[in-house]
Amino acid sequence: MEFDGTFGLADVTTEEVWLALSDPVMIKNALPGCQFLVEVDNPDDVDFDALEEAAAEEEDPATLPEADPEEVAERGLAQGGHYAALVQVGVGSVKPRFETVVTIDRREFPEMDASGQGSASDSSFEMDSGMTLVETDDGVDVEWWTEADVFGRVAQMGQRVINPVANRVVGRFFKQVQKELSDVGDESSGLRDRISSYI
Amino acid sequence: MGAESESGSGVQSVDPDDVDAADILGSAIERREDPALLTGDAEYTDDIELPGMVHMTIKRSRHAHARIENIDTSEAEAMDGVIEVFTAADIEAPGNLPTGWLLDSLEQVDHPILAEDRVRYQGDALAVVVAEERYIAHDATDRIDVDYDRLGAVTEPSEALADDAPAVHDDASGNVAFDWDIGDAEKTDAAFDDADHVVDLDLENQLLIPNAMEPRAAVAEYNPSNDELAVHMTSQNPHLHRLLMSGVIDHPEHKLQVRAPDVGGGFGSKIHHYADEALVALAAKRHERPVKWTATRTETYLTDAQGRGHDTHAEMALSDDGDILGFRVDTAANLGAYLSTFAPAVPTYLYGTLLSGQYDIPAIYCSVTGAFTNVPPVDAYRGAGRPEASFVVERMIHRAAKEVGMDPAEFRRRNFVEEFPYQTQVAVEYDSGDYEKTLDRALDLLDYDELRERQEAARAEGKYVGVGLSAYIEACGLAPSELAGELGAQAGLWESGLVRFHPSGKVTAYCGTSGHGQGHDTTYAQIVANELGVDYEDVEVVEGDTDEIPQGMGTYGSRSAAVGGSALVKSSQKLVEKAKRIAAHQLEAAPEDIEFENGDFHVAGAPDRSMHIAEIATQAYLAHDMPDDMEPGLEATSFYDPDNFVFPFGLHAAVVEVDPDTGEIDIERYVAVDDVGNQINPKIVEGQIHGGVAQGIGQALYEGAEYDDNGQLVTGSMQDYTVPKAEHIPSMETDSTCTPSPVNPLGVKGVGEAGTIAAPQAVVNAVCDALDVDQIGMPMKAERVWRAANAATDGGEH
Repeated sequence: MEFDGTFGLADVTTEEVWLALSDPVMIKNALPGCQFLVEVDNPDDVDFDALEEAAAEEEDPATLPEADPEEVAERGLAQGGHYAALVQVGVGSVKPRFETVVTIDRREFPEMDASGQGSASDSSFEMDSGMTLVETDDGVDVEWWTEADVFGRVAQMGQRVINPVANRVVGRFFKQVQKELSDVGDESSGLRDRISSYI
Repeated sequence: MGAESESGSGVQSVDPDDVDAADILGSAIERREDPALLTGDAEYTDDIELPGMVHMTIKRSRHAHARIENIDTSEAEAMDGVIEVFTAADIEAPGNLPTGWLLDSLEQVDHPILAEDRVRYQGDALAVVVAEERYIAHDATDRIDVDYDRLGAVTEPSEALADDAPAVHDDASGNVAFDWDIGDAEKTDAAFDDADHVVDLDLENQLLIPNAMEPRAAVAEYNPSNDELAVHMTSQNPHLHRLLMSGVIDHPEHKLQVRAPDVGGGFGSKIHHYADEALVALAAKRHERPVKWTATRTETYLTDAQGRGHDTHAEMALSDDGDILGFRVDTAANLGAYLSTFAPAVPTYLYGTLLSGQYDIPAIYCSVTGAFTNVPPVDAYRGAGRPEASFVVERMIHRAAKEVGMDPAEFRRRNFVEEFPYQTQVAVEYDSGDYEKTLDRALDLLDYDELRERQEAARAEGKYVGVGLSAYIEACGLAPSELAGELGAQAGLWESGLVRFHPSGKVTAYCGTSGHGQGHDTTYAQIVANELGVDYEDVEVVEGDTDEIPQGMGTYGSRSAAVGGSALVKSSQKLVEKAKRIAAHQLEAAPEDIEFENGDFHVAGAPDRSMHIAEIATQAYLAHDMPDDMEPGLEATSFYDPDNFVFPFGLHAAVVEVDPDTGEIDIERYVAVDDVGNQINPKIVEGQIHGGVAQGIGQALYEGAEYDDNGQLVTGSMQDYTVPKAEHIPSMETDSTCTPSPVNPLGVKGVGEAGTIAAPQAVVNAVCDALDVDQIGMPMKAERVWRAANAATDGGEH
């Protein structure tokens, strides 16, 4: 299955979007149903139960604008890095919890490619994704695409059911990103300048 | 929809009380099984509740093709209410599901009831959960963790046979399950050399999912003190299931009972021996408790044997005058991941032998390659091989008529077989027929000449009206057993019938067929009442229980009336013979002086000296006054093995209007004239035609199993796979002619599959006719039709 789209973010700079979309904490907060998103060393050996327990005990660190941009850049997605996430999505009549591992294959401002796979009790997926940030007159367009192979119960429901779910998840994600970033733009602390120095 | 002519307006059913006993055979009496089915009194397998019963579910492969690295059942086993989770590793030598039809070149591959280290289709069984409650079992199934190493998948037969295709079975080189051919290749080549015209088409007969209303289900109960195992299951052939299952689970056949309660449709999908029902039986033995499994609708989509699945290249050689000179057919047939019970027979002997259609074709050659793919096993589905054959023949006839510039009706008439019996070039001999009669009746109903004029006028106004004809033939009641054996069948194809008088004069008839919606309780009672001269209401019919009924072969291939009904006739005739001797003895006359009429035996010339057969039944059980050397009792069993198949035929026609702007198809009229020989119950015949045509139109317009590149079924629910609903089906105008079969004592031919065989190509031919194109693939969804229409009007490719 292939999905793609463009999401316009108003009153933000390419650098802000880049930093935000590189921040695992921001992504975790914005992604509907995401329980945690953390870097892991070995993508083939992830103990999701332990990570879930650890995530439940830890407080999320601050994100922009409260966070220090240096810290955000420090924890940001790295090319070649592996990340584990637990994501629960309602698809039709089922609500699979996907144990997901993503690898950042390429990360060159303003473009990023990632690949990954997720597995739930009765469904799984494999995907390649990418995004490009394009500056526009009043902000930034995020052009994104995903090619996914879906297996099991979710696959059987076909694109008929998956498309609206994908659109909903992506829509909510970017709306949340927009919301958080508009706070960045509101700051008069010179945050913008500091952010651009980390790109 | 559409005007109905008087003769096409349908059969009126009648109350059996209003029918004279002498007229019961052939009357359109109401079905006696319907009140229970309509009021909910029917007992389906899932209705069965037994004390202490537990529930079973099956963990199925998520992937179409993968190595299994590990199955972790610990979390499922730890759940409250879960009794056991078992995999192939936990059962001793998991049985292989056998293939019931062998071909010389057949590559027999293992088909374990639980996959061990490799899965070959999405839905392949991996593990079994037994739990106290159904929903616990389902939840536990979701908690079984399987590590897969995914392999490449292939779902189309022609792709599976390509050089670089993933290997479904390591033993089956090139994914070839068999190479098979029939006919005379050289003679056919010569016919093509002499031809004035050659036409060819690439035809796909898409994979279909059977969609019986009732999903497959089984309840098994085991008694450890006497080792008796009873399996109640959705079966079209309980004896066959018993025989196969006894081998698969290694349980003695005489201690295994298979019983089919009411079964809600099968269409072939409940013939085969699947892993699931064997696993239920195994689970019941392991736990010594009754076990129930009912497939979810998702499981039926993933695991019921699918039908059709042919990629065919067909060529026809023609003379300028419009004679068919030769016919060459090359087919790649999808067999799915494993060989299902009768899978090898369907695209070979049930297909290639029907390629002469209704036509006198002097040279035919057909080659078929069976291909393993990563879809569920493919086996018999309503029609089983014969719809595929009729589709190829009738699409080619439509194309050929156009090539030689003849009207398709007249082209058919010119090439019809006229004398019977007729020996085809593809092994079979047609018993009887009168193909012009069904053609003429249908043309009459259509008002064909007027229709063609209207079509031309409509085209001038920019409307696309088309007429499609389908002159089909089918073969029912595959027989005799000796021939079936020569062709590779691992079973006989006879049928048993036991007719038993009770001392009170009432009758029970037992038949080895196993109806699942066809109305056998009614039609068999009509047959037996007619033969014995007893009241229809005094005959009870029993089917579907191996403990009650002599060995039988079951219901499929439109065989029940022709073979099972005839077995009941034979047994009834034996009873009449015995009763006649008792009557002669008690009436003190010679047996040859006794006449039998409407149930009464009387002495010739002395009608007052008579006894009714029911009275003789009482005497036979009293046994106070019997002829010398005659045993008491009045019952008889026959194992009837017919001499030949029977060959029903007919002419179906569709009139469509196609909107080239939207690709929508409106079936304005559907006319079906069928000749199924003598009709036992015309209302039931009509119902079979209606249902069959609905399924055939479903294939033409809506249905098709679709898989993505990974072999994932993307039409896995009724929202994604269009089973036609009432609104999708036009009102049908049905009529019939009657050419009795000389093969069996009833003169019947079989009707269960006729509509499904005839309909698809009638509709496709009509759409091709409307748009004046050579080919449109099925299902003819709007986009496909739109593309064909617009390519045609552009004069481009289609």
